[in-house]
Order: sequence, then structure tokens, then C-alpha cells
Amino acid sequence: MSTLYALLFYFATIMLVVGLGLRIAKYARTPAPLKIPTMPAPTTRSGVFWRMSREVLVFESLFKSNKWIWVFGYMFHVGLALVLLRHFRYFIEPIWFWVNWVQPFGIYASFALLIGLLGLLVRRIVVERIRYISSPSDYLMLLLLIGIALSGMNMKFLAPTDIVAVKVFFLGLLRLQINELPTSASLLVHLGLVATLMIIFPISKLLHGPGIFFSPTRYQVDNSREKRHLAPWAAELEK
Amino acid sequence: MSYEVNGATIEHDEEGYITTLSDWTKDLADVIAKAEEVDMNSEHWEVVNFLRDYYEEYQIAPAVRVLIKAVKKSMGPEKGNNKYMYELFPYGPAKQACKIAGLPKPTGCV
Amino acid sequence: MAILDMDGEDGPKFIPDPLKIPKLACDSMADSAPYPAYPEHNMKLGFPGELLDNWQEVAIAKIGDLASKNRAFQVYLDACVKCGACTDKCHYFLGSGDPKNMPVARQDLLRSVYRRYYTFAGKYFPWLVGARDLTREVLDEWYSYYHQCSQCRRCSVFCPYGIDTAEISMAAREIMDTVGIGQKYCNEIIGKALEIGNNLGLQEKALRATLEDLEEDIEDETGVSVRIPVDEKGADILLITPSADFFAEPHIDGLIGYAKVFHQAGVSWTVSSYASEAANFGLFIGSYENMRDLALRIRRAAEDLGVKRIVFGECGHAWRVAYSFLNTLAGPFDFLDQNYPIPQHILEFTWDQIERGNLKFDKTKNDHLRLTYHDSCNVARGSRMGDKPGGQFEIPRNVIKAVCNNYFEMDRDTTKESTLCCGGGGGLLTDDLMDIRVKGASPRMTALQQVTQDHGVTHMAAICAICKTQFAKVMPKFGYERDSILSVHQLVSNAILLDGQITDDAPVPELEMANEEGTS
Repeated sequence: MSTLYALLFYFATIMLVVGLGLRIAKYARTPAPLKIPTMPAPTTRSGVFWRMSREVLVFESLFKSNKWIWVFGYMFHVGLALVLLRHFRYFIEPIWFWVNWVQPFGIYASFALLIGLLGLLVRRIVVERIRYISSPSDYLMLLLLIGIALSGMNMKFLAPTDIVAVKVFFLGLLRLQINELPTSASLLVHLGLVATLMIIFPISKLLHGPGIFFSPTRYQVDNSREKRHLAPWAAELEK
Repeated sequence: MSYEVNGATIEHDEEGYITTLSDWTKDLADVIAKAEEVDMNSEHWEVVNFLRDYYEEYQIAPAVRVLIKAVKKSMGPEKGNNKYMYELFPYGPAKQACKIAGLPKPTGCV
Repeated sequence: MAILDMDGEDGPKFIPDPLKIPKLACDSMADSAPYPAYPEHNMKLGFPGELLDNWQEVAIAKIGDLASKNRAFQVYLDACVKCGACTDKCHYFLGSGDPKNMPVARQDLLRSVYRRYYTFAGKYFPWLVGARDLTREVLDEWYSYYHQCSQCRRCSVFCPYGIDTAEISMAAREIMDTVGIGQKYCNEIIGKALEIGNNLGLQEKALRATLEDLEEDIEDETGVSVRIPVDEKGADILLITPSADFFAEPHIDGLIGYAKVFHQAGVSWTVSSYASEAANFGLFIGSYENMRDLALRIRRAAEDLGVKRIVFGECGHAWRVAYSFLNTLAGPFDFLDQNYPIPQHILEFTWDQIERGNLKFDKTKNDHLRLTYHDSCNVARGSRMGDKPGGQFEIPRNVIKAVCNNYFEMDRDTTKESTLCCGGGGGLLTDDLMDIRVKGASPRMTALQQVTQDHGVTHMAAICAICKTQFAKVMPKFGYERDSILSVHQLVSNAILLDGQITDDAPVPELEMANEEGTS
């Protein structure tokens, strides 16, 4: 079992890193032929930095759009971020001071994360318009995340696993050694789902993560009258 | 897609504009007007004739404003206005009157 | 839901909500489709005349080609999480209830095909991610629903990733053109503009006759000889305006307004018979090449006439192409005077003159109007005016308030960056799409009815040829007169006092300097 999970995590990590790297490289290489920022847009690069920061940190456009989706989406994403930070403690030794600092928030964050996910799932089922646009994968993605959250919370609050052994397992993986992984059901489910998530990340809608940084309507500067913008393939037309 | 006039078949496009402008005759205008539910009287004919003369010279229908000015000159100010034009041609003087006059449809943001 | 207004003048009353979300009416607009282009229309634009035998193959390859040439298209196909934030943002959905008019669903018509042929999940588990084969039914569905999008970009304001359905619908139309399925309205017009210089097909002789006629009218009205020059070499300013300004009402009254402003500002200007069109329909069909060919006519006209500046008239999509793309498509404009914006909007020009105190107005000339202003979608979300973000909202309002006393705003959720499209933009301004045009206009019309109820608003001003034509057509269906839509420069024209102008009413009305604070 330990070997199986070790191989699974090596595979998932490679898929995540390589897959995401290739996708980001593709986005970066693809030219944007025209200036299409959604106006009003910032006229300077630093202005764009602020616009993007507001989008990424507080989901500004979503807030303008729909308060319910914003509430649940924000709870989920902030909860996930804190929980992920908290998980650093299983991969590093000695533990960075700020990971300890995040530690207590991470526990509460798991509830926010779960409530957010359940809220999004309920909306997807109950709201006619959102049900209409949902594919099986949209529900499965939420269920996958809910599964990860529930199995993790089960280990934290109800049936603790040998967390020291888990840490030894992952520290080992980082040094290319395979150590014994506790065989608690929750842990195996949790890790299995996480690995699945890592594998599908670069081939699914989870690409919205890197995607937003390559969204011309958000990252472009409004300066088309001052500065000529020309894609390489469009420059060919001028020859 | 065609009009039947005096035994002849005149082709038109999806919207009823004739495809060969030289096919136009007064009898055809009556047929098109009937299809458009416009009851042609002398004032309709005045507009149609003006459109045809203008087209003859400029290869395009006149601006609505130019048409109205011409109508004002010949029929007087109480008829030379946009409102009266729409009474004559409910779907608009530019489009409906052009169709009856056998002119191509004005295109663009008009 | 209707909102209950407790402070209504005649007691509490229900106000209809312009953004009320309809019940889903699945496939209710499935039969809406514009007339297809004739082979000669398509071929003039470099597309196949009729549907290719191997159209599937060509269309699928074109999706890949566009994804490699346009970052927005590639990222937007991948990034959507189906959160639903955009689902109630499209005016065509609000007006029709057809769920395929929800922005995400409209994107999915193409995204589902992209997934089938270009993604792992779609290739091996199509049912899981809603991927589907490109069939004739799918192509017909594209033709129907991608011609129910006015590319107004309202959805892109509200998407957490900035996904712009306009990019998808432009790409879809280009794919359809590439396989030989074009839309008659757009393609016929682009052909005319490439051949004759404008969308109307107005030849130089007719253009000159029309403008001479207008000069006469202005002189009759004001006693001042105001010129509207054509092809005048060495003029300072080349005016590029939609050809509708030479033809339709109320557009032409706006043109008279530009002429009066130029006259009073004392600048030399001209229109060009070679580039007598501002509206670039290449945008609507997503064709960079056609858009570029049309834009290059403007550059050539500016070079041939030796002008120093280019000013654009009131036209929404034209101003997007001019402001955001002209430098890209036909630049660099190093031969023009660099002290002025290239290109400049007529409202930037007029507002600058007002600020300098060069224009005098009698605002009472517009006292018979109670006005509101419709932000045209492509100006609002695709361009800017002035130096600061949001100038495209402020400058038109500043000008209106400088020439009118009675001005009122519509619901803030339907103005500025949140403005609703008129319902006729993006190549939909054709009679064969009248049903969707009326449905698409209904949210804006409801917002207008609100201010009519609350403030007695009688007229609405706009700065886009499409908006003006569309509203003139659909307003009677919502209880307004056909002439309740006005050009902003028509208001300027009404109120401006030209030097030496004869005024019909004595004594001379008290003049108000335009740069005084307007009312709101």
C-alpha cells in the first residue's frame, strides 16, 4: 500500500507540474492580436496589478455579479488556501514559524471550505439556470473536493490517524525513500482523492487558476492610442 | 421567390426586393404594394416616382431628410414630415418605399 | 420581481425591474436565424461561396488555428468553471428566456466541440464534460445562437475570469465563414464597404449632393453658411463617421451638430468619399483581415488628403475599432499631429471646445425634452474617451448637461460599464432578426420606462448609429414615438449659437456659458 501511494503521488506530482507547466507555456506563447481590456481599464501596468490583485484576492467581478456565488466561492477558496498553508507542516522540518501561526485558522477554515462547497453544490442543483449549464464533471468536481474535505476533517476531529507517520512518509518521498504509510481508511481516501485532483488539474476547468492571469480582458493595459500593439502573425500581414 | 405580374415572373430576394432592377414596372409596383399591404394613391406614387428619379441620378435612395424636403416642396409642410411618411409607408419610407419603387434595400446601420 | 416603490407620487406602486430574470424557455429562440449570405457576398471577403464538402474537417482545424492565434479564445475555452455568474447578464436572455442565450451556454455551443476534438476528457469521456461531435445540427445551432449575440461584452464585466463571449461569438462566425456559411447582412455590407467605401453603397456624387443639401438646410435655419466639405485636401481634420449619418434619422441631425461645432471652433475639416464609413463590420464576423482592409482605407484617406487629425463621429462599434484597434490595424500614425489623440472622438473634440469656452449655447432650446442617456455598449466596455478611465461615461454626459436643462439617469445597474445593449448591435440590425431585436431591447426599454415614470423622461440620447436605428425601430413597440431617440450632437445642434446666427425669438435669450455646471 505504501509503495502504491508513493508511486501515485510521484505520478500525480509529475502530471500536475508538467501538465500545468505545458498549459501555462501554451497560454504564454499564444499571442493576443488585439487590445480587448474590459473597460474602464487601468492605463498603467501598476493599475493592472491592482485590478488583477482585486480579482484574485477578493473576486471583485464575481462580487459585482452575484452575492451568493461570491459568498460560497469565497468561503471555499479562502478556506482552501488556509488549509493548504496549514498542510505545509507535513512536508517541512523544521516547521516555518508562519505555518504554526496559520495552524489554528486552518482548522476553522476547513468548515468554511466545506460550507462553501456545499453551498455551491446546492446552488448547482437548485438554481434552474446553473443546473442547465452543469455537466456531470461539474458535480463530480464538487463531490471530489467535498470528499477531500470530509475525509480530512474526519481525521482531524473524529478518527485521528498517526499524523507523525504520515509526515515521515511524505518527508521520505521528498528524499526518494518510501516509508510506511498508516492504513487508516480516511487517510487513504483523502490521499487518493487529492492525487486524483492533482492529476486532473491541468486537463480540467481547474485551469481557471492560471487562466485568469492570461485573460486579456483583465491583464491588458488601456493604452492602445499611445502604444501600438501588434501580434507577430499580424505583423506578417504588413510585409 | 417571385412576383407574378401580367403573366411575367419577377424574381425577388428573401425580403421582397426585386433582384433585377430593370424588371420594374408600375404594374409590378402595385403588386409589391399589395404584398406590403400598402394601398397606393397619388401621394404614394409621388414618393415612388421621386425615389426612382433620385436613384436614376445617384444610384442610391435619398436620405430620408432629402426625401421629406422634396415631398414638402410638392405636397406642402403638413405632409412633408417624417410622421406622414410613416403613415404612407408604415414600415418606413427608406425600406418599404424603396421596395415598392424597385430599388435595392438600403444597407448598413439604417 | 417587481420592486415596490413606497415613495411614488401617487402612493406605493410596483416598478418593473429591467433585470428581472425570466423563467427558462428552452429552445424558444431556436428558429431565429438570419438570411445566409449569397456566394458572391462570401467570396468577395475571401471565404468559400457555399458550404464546403469537408466542412467538418475545415471547421475543426479552424478552431485549433484560432486557439493558437488568439490567447483570449484559447484561455476562455479552458477557464470557464460554470459558476453561473453570467447567466442573468445577457439582454437577449433576459428578453427571451432561452437558456442558450445565457453567455456561458452560448460559449458552450462551441466549447463542447472544442472539448471533443482538443481535450483529453472530451476525446475519451465526452459524456462527462458535455463534449459533442460537430454535426450539421450543431452548425445550424451555432448559426442561430451566434447571431443572437451582439458582442456587447456585458457578460465579460461580471465573469470572475473576464471571459468575453464576444470573443467566442466572433470566432464562431469566423469559423462559419471559413466553411462557407456567412450571414447576408454583415457580409454583403463588408463587400460594399470594401468596394465603395461605405456600408450604404453611397457613391461620391450622392454623398456630395446629400451634404450640399444639408448645408442649405443649416443656412436656412441659422442664416450662417456652415460647410460640410468633401475630399478637401489639406484640411486639418478628417471626419470618419458612420454612413448612416448621411442617410438616416436621427443620425443626420447629429452630423449637422458636428458641422456646427467644427464651424464654431474655426477648424478646417473634411469627410472622405473614399473612407466614408466609420462602422467596421469586420469586427462582427471576427475577421482580422477584413477588419484590417477596412481600417486601411481610413489610413489611405488621411494620407491622400494630407490631414493632421482624425476625428470619429457617433458610432459605437466604430469607436471600439478606432480607439482600441486602429493603431494596431493601420498604424503607426506618425504622419498625423501627435499633439492630439489619434484617433479622437467627436465628443472629446466638442467637450474640449466647451471647456475652452469656445462654444455658446442656449440650453432652453432643448427645454421641450426630458432626457436620459443610453451608454452604447461598445463605447462603454470597448473603448475610452479623454485621459482617464471612465471618460467614455463622463464626457458624453458633460456635453449633454452643457446643452440641456432636464437630464436624468437610468438605473445604475443598466448604465456605464453595466449598460445594456440596444438589442441591435454586432450584426443583428437586420429585419430578419426583428424578433430577437425586440426581445433584446426590452431590458433597456424597461429601464427607460422607469425614468419616464419617475421623472417624466421623454427622450433618450445615444452615440451609436446602431443604437439610434434600433431604438427608432423598436421604441414604438414600447409606447414611445419613433423620434424619442436622439443623437447627442443633435442636442448640441439644437442649442449651439453660431456667430452671426439669426434667432427667431426676440429679445435674445439669456445666454448660458456652456462650461457652467449643468443640471442633473
